Amino acid sequence: MDIKKISDLLIELEEEKVYDAVDKAIEQGVSGREILKASQAGMATIGDMYKREEAFVADMMFAGEIMRNILNRIQPLLEKEGGREKAIGKAILGTVKGDIHDLGKDVVMIALEGNGFEVIDLGVDVAPEKFVEAVNNNPDAKVLGLSVFLTSAFPSTEKTVKAIAESGNRDRVKIMVGGAPVTEVVARETGCDYFAEDAAAGVSYTKSVYGA
Amino acid sequence: MAKSMQELYDERMDRYWKANHLQKPDKVPFRPCAAELAGKIAGYTAQQVTHDPDLGLDAVVKMCQAVPGIDATVVNMVFVNTSVTESYGLKYYKVPGIDLDADDSFQYIEPQTEEDAFMKVEEYDRFIEDPNEFVMNVWLPRTSKYMVPPGEQNTWKNNLAWLKNGIAIQQYFQKLGANVARMQTETGTVSSLAGALKAPFDILADKFRGFRGIAYDLHRCPDKVLKATEAVAPHMAWNCIATADPSRKVPCSHWMHRGATGFFSEEVFEKFHWPTLKMVTEQIWEAGIQTIYYAEGKWARNLKHFRQLPEQSIIFHCDKDDIYEVKRVLGDRFAISGGVPNDMLAFGEPADVKKRVKQLITDFGPDGGYLLDAEAIMQQDVKVENFIAMAQACEEYGYI
Repeated sequence: MDIKKISDLLIELEEEKVYDAVDKAIEQGVSGREILKASQAGMATIGDMYKREEAFVADMMFAGEIMRNILNRIQPLLEKEGGREKAIGKAILGTVKGDIHDLGKDVVMIALEGNGFEVIDLGVDVAPEKFVEAVNNNPDAKVLGLSVFLTSAFPSTEKTVKAIAESGNRDRVKIMVGGAPVTEVVARETGCDYFAEDAAAGVSYTKSVYGA
Repeated sequence: MAKSMQELYDERMDRYWKANHLQKPDKVPFRPCAAELAGKIAGYTAQQVTHDPDLGLDAVVKMCQAVPGIDATVVNMVFVNTSVTESYGLKYYKVPGIDLDADDSFQYIEPQTEEDAFMKVEEYDRFIEDPNEFVMNVWLPRTSKYMVPPGEQNTWKNNLAWLKNGIAIQQYFQKLGANVARMQTETGTVSSLAGALKAPFDILADKFRGFRGIAYDLHRCPDKVLKATEAVAPHMAWNCIATADPSRKVPCSHWMHRGATGFFSEEVFEKFHWPTLKMVTEQIWEAGIQTIYYAEGKWARNLKHFRQLPEQSIIFHCDKDDIYEVKRVLGDRFAISGGVPNDMLAFGEPADVKKRVKQLITDFGPDGGYLLDAEAIMQQDVKVENFIAMAQACEEYGYI
């Protein structure tokens, strides 16, 4: 079968048809890694469409749901094949302390994973020391993404950046920040390196940090 | 001779009413939506203004006393009082001082999975058949830590939850009314809102299926989503009209979420969101009530649809859109509010704020139909001196 069909159906968010195509590919002996690659290509295209305002947060979430179900289907194959191919790079994501909103963070995670990055998701209401610990424990992660939805969480964004600096790892990790109330001014004043206006911008920045 | 509080109130009400109705008042009204900021000015923590109704409402009166020049403001901008929600064990809020630090803002817990959703996908038909029945018999017990659904073994906790919540609601709304009167008699300030609307699509997405659920449902069962918005729409209109200002002088509120352009496509907005929102807004207007469209996020692509509404039926509050573009598209039909960036209020200086306010008043004041406010609700991050600068600049430049 034409493996590109999986990618095309994913882009069209044709849920049942894409599962059928994956099942058929598995039956025909296509490797898990090839199916994953085709699916990631579809996710990357949806990310590009999001950038052009041809796809939206709801589409990204649904695509992420389909992707999870594809991964469940091909997991046994991937295990036999020795796991996934090496990721392009690694990013750490979390919503800052005092803020439990997860939607923006999750969209960035879906977009990054779709583009071949490994993501460490710290969840929501993440204390500065948890970010510090994650950066310490993942020396290969070059990007830290902070998600902020409430203006009241601006101070904890600043505290997080300061805590990373005090831990001695500030030069090792680029910090991007995004979320509904975030602007260039907020990014600058809180000490972040980059204002990710949306998930697509976050992916572009992460790629640029990794030279991908 | 100094004006009496009643004279000041009458003057401000006239100013507020005229601006809302696209007329040119004597001064551009300052109508801040100040939430936890009111507590910061009054010296209360987020926990105190969220969990203690007396302090939450008192904070607004104290803010109006401390900052002269507030024409109208929201009596309970920290709109969830968790003494009420905790009385029956509502699960979906994180409460400052209980689940969060005492100075964090209360927050809504978004359902993550189908198991977490407050309405399951297979329950659409029951909801569509009778939303009230579903809310009372399924939704309420599911969202409460204590209430049990009909047919299950009753518990003392269930009985106490109903009793405590009844008392808490009665007490809260008695206090709310008393504080609206305090704002008038002690500070001459208008309570800027009465009655609340949520778009039928938003209530379904936020409080029943969750954002993820609705995002999936639009692909898996779109017809049911549409029917559910139609089923709940009359209840949203009734709820708003029943709680609105009897004198019809102040508008009701509509906190707008999922119609912002980043969440869904224009096709989804046109088919699932806008028809029932338009219908309920028109019903509310027919009852003599304006609606503030507090448009959180960006809405530029959808502004053209709002032009279909009767002239003056809404006041459009601009958050992340270019307010000059909003004025161009909607300014001949509806009043607009907003314009002071929250990042400026958090990180800028009073001089920056005054300059921005002067510019907004110069550009929008002469036409009328403009109310000064920040872009988004004001929380603890706003510097008090910047908020005072907003009020002072409006007094200084607002008489046009």
